[in-house]
Amino acid sequence: MVSRQRRLLSFPAEDGFLINALLVAGEFNREEDLYNTPIVLLVHGVLGHFLARGTPRLLPNALEENGISSFLINSRMAFTGQMFGGAIFDESIMDVEAAVDVLVKEGFRKIIILGWSLGANISVYYAVNNSHPNVKGLILEGCSSSLPRSNKRRLEKWNSVPSYDHIYEIAKKVLRPDPVTTQNDRVFIIYRATGPTFDPEDVELFTYRTWWFMRGPEAYNAKTEEIISGVKLPTLFIHGDEDYIVGHEEPESLVEIMRNAGNENVQLEFIPKARHDCMENPTATVDTLINWLSNFKD
Amino acid sequence: MKDNNSTKYMEQELVSIPFGKSKIDGLYYNSTIHDEDDKKNDTVIIHVHGFLGNFLDGSQRFLPPILAEGGYSSLAINTRMANFGLFFGYGILNDTIPQIDRVVEYLEELGYKNIILSGYSLGTSIVLRYAALRKDAKNFPHLKGVITLAAPYSMPDSIRRRWNSLGSEPSYDEVLEEAKEIIKPGREGTGHDRTILIYKARGDSYRPEHTEIYTYRTWWYLAGPEADTAMGYKQIAEIKVPILLIQGWYDQIVKPEETHDLAQVALDAGNKDVSAFYVNAGHKFEEKEEELGDIIVRWLDRRFKL
Repeated sequence: MVSRQRRLLSFPAEDGFLINALLVAGEFNREEDLYNTPIVLLVHGVLGHFLARGTPRLLPNALEENGISSFLINSRMAFTGQMFGGAIFDESIMDVEAAVDVLVKEGFRKIIILGWSLGANISVYYAVNNSHPNVKGLILEGCSSSLPRSNKRRLEKWNSVPSYDHIYEIAKKVLRPDPVTTQNDRVFIIYRATGPTFDPEDVELFTYRTWWFMRGPEAYNAKTEEIISGVKLPTLFIHGDEDYIVGHEEPESLVEIMRNAGNENVQLEFIPKARHDCMENPTATVDTLINWLSNFKD
Repeated sequence: MKDNNSTKYMEQELVSIPFGKSKIDGLYYNSTIHDEDDKKNDTVIIHVHGFLGNFLDGSQRFLPPILAEGGYSSLAINTRMANFGLFFGYGILNDTIPQIDRVVEYLEELGYKNIILSGYSLGTSIVLRYAALRKDAKNFPHLKGVITLAAPYSMPDSIRRRWNSLGSEPSYDEVLEEAKEIIKPGREGTGHDRTILIYKARGDSYRPEHTEIYTYRTWWYLAGPEADTAMGYKQIAEIKVPILLIQGWYDQIVKPEETHDLAQVALDAGNKDVSAFYVNAGHKFEEKEEELGDIIVRWLDRRFKL
């Protein structure tokens, strides 16, 4: 008998960044059953972490009740990473790689990566670049088709201070001579970034470098629509039917790109009565996931 | 891969303590060390994080396993001031008091009789404030001691001195004037607040690691000149339970003499059980983790060992 597990793990990424992770698994009759059952590797959203409200907080326990294990990571994009310079989008796939390696070494054979919001874009970038054979599928929740365009649209909608274009101009100056190698960086605030006021809840905080690689016009790897054709894994999109942060057309366009690129195992499900966080409707979300994950059981 | 879940000295559990409509997250380290009569120590330490911290980092992470080996269980918690609390306006020091009340109640329900509060850096302001407010032993019989790690004598004075010495942008006085204008102290609840950046607040560059982020309101109640709740020396004078202060000799954020001065205030106020130790380390006690743990275990043993 394998006991129920809630294990807190720490392990380094290739560059030494320390990743904290939480393994959530139920009881299994045999160790073999644990490792042969799909495990969901969950990557959080913006400013998120493995205890953040919504999907990270709620989904693992719900999956466990259905015999599915989870592995939640705090990547370098977690917590205040984007505000203090550590959260470079392109480097975040090292965290996913390290987590996959940990699971593979533990013996897990069927790893499904679930990215929520920003985590979905990271997961796509990982899957395009370096997918371990034990990674069997992707679940993309609330996936934007392009993080830079999404940011630009939002800042223009609320008439942000500074504007998207102004940030870009300043970033080019601050990050001289080259954003990749520069030692220069600085924190900045975008007022009226997520709403119409100057109040803290409508603010976004980045460093110029974290913004450049995640939200800037040259953040190529965060333009998911331009790279997702390279994903050949079975992929399930789940999207809140009432999501006002990422519109319906974004996952729809991503599905079309993948199918046009020859991936026939792509599915999109809209979750009724849910906004950006599908776990606002836990029953529909869990049913959808369990149904799709059953494809990976023996 | 390091498995932090359990060792031969402890079992670890993530806990979410119901608190009104929300929850207080914490990491509970249950020491499995029992005495000769197989009796478990009924002393527990609550660990409170520092600036932007949480229970996964710093002393909140490295101390509990060391204390568990000494027979002491721990609960490391995230308060309202954890992570981004200071950036988005809800990280107000006094609002952590009911959270800690709830954590204390939770530990009492688990059977602990001796509850020790331990804070690191900003967390020292929280635990000193709490212990000062809950000094009545009749109503709070299980609060038995306070540990401070890198405690500023006064958070507002410490921040003002640091910003002035580094030439912060904006300056302390400029932030003060802006804060008065924006939040209109004394008229809380008007809803006005704004996030602010302070460059060159923690070092002499504009780089992110030398920058601090607040809202005017969170700054006002933590660093403003009227932030009595964050003035450790005013709080520590009220505390009558045993106090242990530990400080890094090479701390660049909090000066070593601040710990000396805090201890002196507590002694002058009549507290007979005040101890202060210096460790050959900086603000984070890096590479001195075991030594720090040993000091605390010895201090606990003398007072709370079965």
